[in-house]
Amino acid sequence: MDLNRILLERFGYESFRPGQEEVIRHLLDKRDTIAILPTGMGKSLCYQLPGSVLEGSVLIISPLVSLMEDQAMRMRQNGEKRVVALNSFLPYSERQRIMGQLQNYKFIFISPEMLSQEAFSRKLNRIRLSLVVIDEAHCISQWGFDFRPDYLRIGDFLKLKGRPPLLALTATADEKVLNDIQHYFKMEKPIVQRHSLDRPNISYSIVEVHSSQEKTAWIKERVAQTVGPGIIYASSRKRADELAIELQLEGIAVQSYHAGKEQDDRSIIQEQFLMGDLEWICATNAFGMGVHKDDIRQVIHDHLPPTIAAYIQEVGRAGRDGQPAAASLLYMPTDEQTSSFIIQSDMPREEEIRHYHRMIGEGHSPGSASELASLTETGKRVLDYYMEHYSLEEILLKFHRLSTEKNEQLRQMVQLVTGGLCIRQRALSYFGEMGGTKPVECCSICGLETVKWLYEKSIKPSAAEKFSWDERITNLLG
Amino acid sequence: MNLSSILLFVISKMNGQRTLNAGLHLLRGKKSGQTLTDVEYFNVKPFFAILPKLEESTYSQAIDELLDSGLIIQDEKFIKLTEEGSKRVEELPEFHFRGWDYRGREMIFFGRIALLVQTLSFLREGEFSFNPIQKDRDIQIFVKRLLERQPLTDPGFAKRIGDELKMALLKSGMSEIQKYIFACRLTGSTATAKTWDQLAAELGGGTDALRLQFIECLHRLLPIVEDSDEFPFLGKVAFGIKVNSYLTDSAMHTKRLFDQGHSMASIATIRKLKMSTIEDHVIEMAMNDKRFPVTHFVSEELIQAVVSKSQELGTKRLKLLKDEFDTLSYFELRLIMTACKEVDN
Repeated sequence: MDLNRILLERFGYESFRPGQEEVIRHLLDKRDTIAILPTGMGKSLCYQLPGSVLEGSVLIISPLVSLMEDQAMRMRQNGEKRVVALNSFLPYSERQRIMGQLQNYKFIFISPEMLSQEAFSRKLNRIRLSLVVIDEAHCISQWGFDFRPDYLRIGDFLKLKGRPPLLALTATADEKVLNDIQHYFKMEKPIVQRHSLDRPNISYSIVEVHSSQEKTAWIKERVAQTVGPGIIYASSRKRADELAIELQLEGIAVQSYHAGKEQDDRSIIQEQFLMGDLEWICATNAFGMGVHKDDIRQVIHDHLPPTIAAYIQEVGRAGRDGQPAAASLLYMPTDEQTSSFIIQSDMPREEEIRHYHRMIGEGHSPGSASELASLTETGKRVLDYYMEHYSLEEILLKFHRLSTEKNEQLRQMVQLVTGGLCIRQRALSYFGEMGGTKPVECCSICGLETVKWLYEKSIKPSAAEKFSWDERITNLLG
Repeated sequence: MNLSSILLFVISKMNGQRTLNAGLHLLRGKKSGQTLTDVEYFNVKPFFAILPKLEESTYSQAIDELLDSGLIIQDEKFIKLTEEGSKRVEELPEFHFRGWDYRGREMIFFGRIALLVQTLSFLREGEFSFNPIQKDRDIQIFVKRLLERQPLTDPGFAKRIGDELKMALLKSGMSEIQKYIFACRLTGSTATAKTWDQLAAELGGGTDALRLQFIECLHRLLPIVEDSDEFPFLGKVAFGIKVNSYLTDSAMHTKRLFDQGHSMASIATIRKLKMSTIEDHVIEMAMNDKRFPVTHFVSEELIQAVVSKSQELGTKRLKLLKDEFDTLSYFELRLIMTACKEVDN
């Protein structure tokens, strides 16, 4: 099949980006495929092209409603009209209408919990699927923010015989996550197509300090002297707010962003950052997914991320435009304890699990039982899933193993920071990548000369022109 | 206007007859028998549910401010105004909330306007791709339907909506600062909305006070566009915002059975609910229907007797009335006080 011709005729591109063609060929050969591609590397073409030549519909399972809406919208904009995004937020009548003509759609985006709705999965079994795609496939494995227990149910759905090939897409995956993806999605001898996660235009620095006051001082000086736009990641909402206020006092256009803010303000802050009204964002890990901004020049970590994968993903939001970008991580020895505490507090403890299990057995409702056992939201969801499938002792063992693994991942992150080896190479080797060429601006271990571009700050004219209320409306609507 | 000044007003209405938390339940819009009865007794419908997410700590802080400045005192369990407080109430600005009608749903109305303005603002510039500022799916679907078969890309259409909006804001009688806040919460291709923190920094005052201004602003805008042919498009945006039944769903269910002729006891059995819950429902029904047949429950003479006693004693406290009318139950007394509110005024 002349893929290049199809690419040009149907999608208007002259050539494939690295990795795309290989993934497409595997799928056309009906092989299960795991594609590890950095964000912004054209993941969606990997299923759009095969979908357009194969007979039947492509099912795409996506963890975030906003993300799937976004992708469906982009496909429609590019001329593919046979797209639908189906999730449990749609009104009942709308869902019924879509379900009635499901076979007419070429690309069906769904959220994972749709699969546990019997009417839908029955309907799905009756239409012809050419391909099943799982977006953000690492959500099956990570405990914590990204983890989606709903993803564990996809495996149950995929048990069906003679299913079409499966494509698991993700931006980061270490060996463990890869194994989880393969195992839980019941993939058959998948081909792993990996594009290097190395981002040569990003330089890495570790800055050792002794107190959080020192961190604040460093950040204040850094932000005053170097270019934005940038993101500062903090471990808590409180710290994000605190840093934002400190920087505002210095006259920086900055806002904090975290799940404690009302939804409208969060959208506004994102939009202001996108539009360049804000130069910096002080955020918890709630900021990032679905934010398309190419010219982020700096990512600063005020804390120690729980895993190398999380770190690389957050850092990877910088420099999407290919221009130089800088990642700095501030570290003090007590950070390891702090991060460890945060990780463990998310995990249900043994007595909590036993307590919950007993109460469910005694007929308490899951809601009240989880409250009594003081489980976190995530903890409850995972536990509920496990309880359907395993005995209490197995569950305890699983959580114990999970907890050990979490600590191990944190230990590796600490190693990356304190080990004294090239940060880039160490991170890449964590993902099973070797060697590669070192860019001139590599990392603080390899030695960073004064990086000139970082200090070329243009003085932005403060566009704080004040409009009256009716001028503002005229400005917006004419 | 801030939380303390609203509380001072509410306390003046409930003077000396309610405990500390009655105000919290009122502002949050708690749908319990007691709160719903209070709303009616004390004429505080406008403040019902204006702050559905009010934190207890924020509330106590505002109460403490009033206590510290000597405007209110706590008399055993009850909260009442001091002389100083009564004077201050006279100086309060007039409030224009309509909480009973909107109950927090005014934010859905604004969400629709915000997404509508953003959409038109981008489309008139020929930009078809933008990040929707509203993430709420119901709002997105509503606006999408609203814009079906409209001349979306016609700049004249956007301008018409803008003019309608300006006209409605002018006619609403809201303050300049409220119009400014409203406009600053809008996003489009040429300008992005300001967060509450940013508005507070610019205008002074706290974010809570600004939010209250904003809520009142929406409560003034909504009736203007609801009742007039002048604002055809905004009228559609306001569709379904005002509550159409003032009864809670559960009270509605009880009412249907009551209308079919069931007694309260039989309703309690049918619905497997406690008698006290059914009593709350009956009170709710009486509150929302001026023609509610109170005489089904108490004789006309007793009603008159209770009402005049209440006036004589100058109280609406059930405990005191109960001392006078020992044969009547608390429920019957509540019912009388609810249904005969107008006589009282």
